[in-house]
Amino acid sequence: MDKNQLSRRNFLGKSALIGAAGFAGLSAISSCSMNTKKVDYQFPPLLEKAPDGKKLRAGLVGCGNRGTGAALNFLAAGNDLELIALADVFEDKVWDCHGKLEKQKVEVPKNNCFWGFDAYKRLLDVDLDIVLLATPPHFRPEHFDAAVQAKKHVFMEKPVSVDPVGARQIIATSKKAETMGLTIVTGTQRRHQRDYLETYRQVASGAIGEITSAKAWWLQSHVWFRTREEGWGDMEYMLRNWNNFCWLCGDHILDTHVHNIDIVNWFVGKHPESAIGFGGRVRRLTGDQYDFFSIDFDFGNGVFSHSMSRQIDGCANSLGEQVMGTEGYTNCKNTIYNPDGSIKWQYEYPKNKDGKSTGIVKVSPYVQEHVDMVTAIRENNPIVEAERTAISTLTAIMGRTAAYTGQKVSWEDMLNSAERLGPENHEMGPVSKEFPVPLPGTQHKA
Amino acid sequence: MKRKHYLIFAAGGFAVILFLVLSQQIINYTSTDEFCAACHVHPHAESSFKLSAHNSNRSGVSARCVDCHLPPEDQTAYFLTRKAYHGFHDLYYYVTKDMDEIDWEAKRTVEASKRFVYEDGCKKCHTNLFPATLDALGAESHLKYLRDPENNSCVKCHLTVGHYRGEVALTMEETVVAETELYDKPATVTSFQDFTEQIPGTIVSFDMVAVKGGTFNMGSSPDEPYRRPDEGPVREVLVNDFWMAEIEVTWNEYLAFFNATGSQGRKEAEVSEADEEVDGISGATPPWGAPDQGWGMGNRPAITMTHHAAETYCRWLSSATGKNYRLPTEAEWEYAARGGTQGPYFFEGSPKNFETDGIWNKIFGPDTAVINTYVIYQENSPYRTQPPLAVNPNPFGLKNMLGNVAEFCLDYYDPQVYAKYPQGVVKNPRGPRDGLEHVVRGGSFKNSAKDLRIARRDFTRTKEWLETDPQIPKSIWWYSDANHVGFRVICEYPAQEINEETKN
Repeated sequence: MDKNQLSRRNFLGKSALIGAAGFAGLSAISSCSMNTKKVDYQFPPLLEKAPDGKKLRAGLVGCGNRGTGAALNFLAAGNDLELIALADVFEDKVWDCHGKLEKQKVEVPKNNCFWGFDAYKRLLDVDLDIVLLATPPHFRPEHFDAAVQAKKHVFMEKPVSVDPVGARQIIATSKKAETMGLTIVTGTQRRHQRDYLETYRQVASGAIGEITSAKAWWLQSHVWFRTREEGWGDMEYMLRNWNNFCWLCGDHILDTHVHNIDIVNWFVGKHPESAIGFGGRVRRLTGDQYDFFSIDFDFGNGVFSHSMSRQIDGCANSLGEQVMGTEGYTNCKNTIYNPDGSIKWQYEYPKNKDGKSTGIVKVSPYVQEHVDMVTAIRENNPIVEAERTAISTLTAIMGRTAAYTGQKVSWEDMLNSAERLGPENHEMGPVSKEFPVPLPGTQHKA
Repeated sequence: MKRKHYLIFAAGGFAVILFLVLSQQIINYTSTDEFCAACHVHPHAESSFKLSAHNSNRSGVSARCVDCHLPPEDQTAYFLTRKAYHGFHDLYYYVTKDMDEIDWEAKRTVEASKRFVYEDGCKKCHTNLFPATLDALGAESHLKYLRDPENNSCVKCHLTVGHYRGEVALTMEETVVAETELYDKPATVTSFQDFTEQIPGTIVSFDMVAVKGGTFNMGSSPDEPYRRPDEGPVREVLVNDFWMAEIEVTWNEYLAFFNATGSQGRKEAEVSEADEEVDGISGATPPWGAPDQGWGMGNRPAITMTHHAAETYCRWLSSATGKNYRLPTEAEWEYAARGGTQGPYFFEGSPKNFETDGIWNKIFGPDTAVINTYVIYQENSPYRTQPPLAVNPNPFGLKNMLGNVAEFCLDYYDPQVYAKYPQGVVKNPRGPRDGLEHVVRGGSFKNSAKDLRIARRDFTRTKEWLETDPQIPKSIWWYSDANHVGFRVICEYPAQEINEETKN
């Protein structure tokens, strides 16, 4: 899937950077120019607040902490935005979320609160404009397709699936959404972050020359986990500890590292062709996932990206991205360096009253993505991010598969893979399926 | 005068318009369903269409014959030529054939439909491949179609949408997943025919070709270009029947052996790597680095194993399959490679044509069209082994006898051995009783045409091939410096046993 199919608007070459004004004419000119490099740069208006317009009513599927947060981010994006329905697999999660929202003066009608595996279907029956999907990513393809079939705009969290089958399902549903004129925003908030966008604009205009390599890393201490409590069946236990089971979470190379992978795909301008990598598990207590991954993504023509992700306490932890070019390099976020390490360009953050840089963007990217979504809906200028996020998710799955199996895994493998994770049926109670920790290669013989 | 010109001009213009209108009328008339039905008298076409989703559906829209059975009209030239073709084709068959003799069933296949169903016709109306209600199976199939429209088509899944053949559930062609079932027993052989050996406990199998024995002239005549002295004198040799592997032993096959017999590595007490165990076969030590040279394993020929390792492989394979596998003797190898031919190669051509050292060839380049199809060698290998199925077989059905990798033989090497064999027909020769180095036959991806000649003899160079092995003692399992030699197995023909079995 070519990059140029991903974005709603493709701006060609450097001329696109002159400005948003008259870009139709510009793209026509630059399409004839010799040095055309297709770039994926949407010019979101980057408003501080969505314009006023018709009232938009949203429902939230997945009432955990991120879901609750996403709902509040949505409500902060503009005027006449309402949250009127909640759904989660667990009843206690629904009421917990309901209570938190009440404290923020958000009243969700109690008869619009649903729970169970089918809760999302009942939520879609409510008269809504927008659905916020924030469940574990395992359920995303199914929920997303149902939401689009119900003609709803969607905000959904990354990653958008846990397996290749799911990622392809997202791509197909994304195409449906495009033909239906719906707007889909996917929680890859760096792409709505003013400093990243400005840096991307610099790189796309040739600030670092041709891209030669990249690295991306998300190295952090361990994340939350739950040990089993009495009375929890297999399914309930896994759902409540979802961040530690691959079939629900996709492993942390998807859960968190997909952000970095998405940035590299964005800056390089395409997805990698293949991956070789490794990973392992040395510190974890629950679930079936790895503690660390190290993946070499091969973009062809000698361009590669080294991708590292780790969740172990007491190690050299940091996160970020770096993209190398023939004429310099960038941290993707706010700085362009010359090859000798001197700073060539830096993003100017808003200043505080002492005239010093605040170091943070004007509008939180977590709100900005909702501002951009509401703007797209109200100005009838739909954007669909689902396919490109599915491709970044599938890139992460390719890396994960390379580490789990020890094999070289190609994009073609991913497009043909029949891998579908998780139990056959979604129902509470015992789960007979085993979830062993993946082991690459074969055992030595003594 | 001017007025006359004007009249002619006007008349001409009128004629053109009339012609266009009439042709449009004709095209329209000949595109009606009634017109089609006039010849297509088989009633089932019409009745099955009427029941189909293209006529009987909720939307109230009904397709016409030409919507599917001709390209869209906006592809004017293609539309008109196909229309003319189908018109004449159908008329001819209508006039000359008996309708009852036409095999309609054969036309209801995806393959046949390509001749008279036009995909652009489908896409002219069905502009959205991802309608909102498309289910997961449809989504997968349509994505697959977008990725590879050449090998997928609308009718591949939607075969009966134009003509109703009963309710058919849509299915997607399953992606072929590699067979992972392990073989639980080796192949059973009851007669002297080709068979496929399967290695128990693995997913690995390979094809064995039955080579009927016979007499042949071994060696090359003194006038053969690039001949070397050790290729003669030519002797008449008889070999018995045997099976020979169609291709050189692959990495898949060799790794099955390595995995089954691999050892921890050298142990302290052993002076050299012991290979004989009382009740089993102890196999190779783990290699250093990448024995495949990073070219890939799978079906490529296994390389860098020593002659000793190759012989151990054969012993292991024999015990795993209950048959008698071994390396071919030099005579068996040459007999099989010749495949009944007597020239420098089993295909047409002289080494002089293929080599680049003559003046003519230096200037104009050699004509390698033929040799390229039979052999992986210097000119087409890019300096590495290639998967075995890329070449054509020799007359016996064996592949890459003369190229890809050179092959170990059972015999010790002796440059004068042909002269030392007794007078008369030499029966099943096995080379000298003792020696240091073994015979290697057949060229490799490293060789040029002159060294691919059937009669060309070569031999192992143990010292040279272990030159850079940094261990002392050096490995008896892996050559550090020979990446162009592999081997091929033969299976001895147990005539007695098979005859017994067929009698029973």
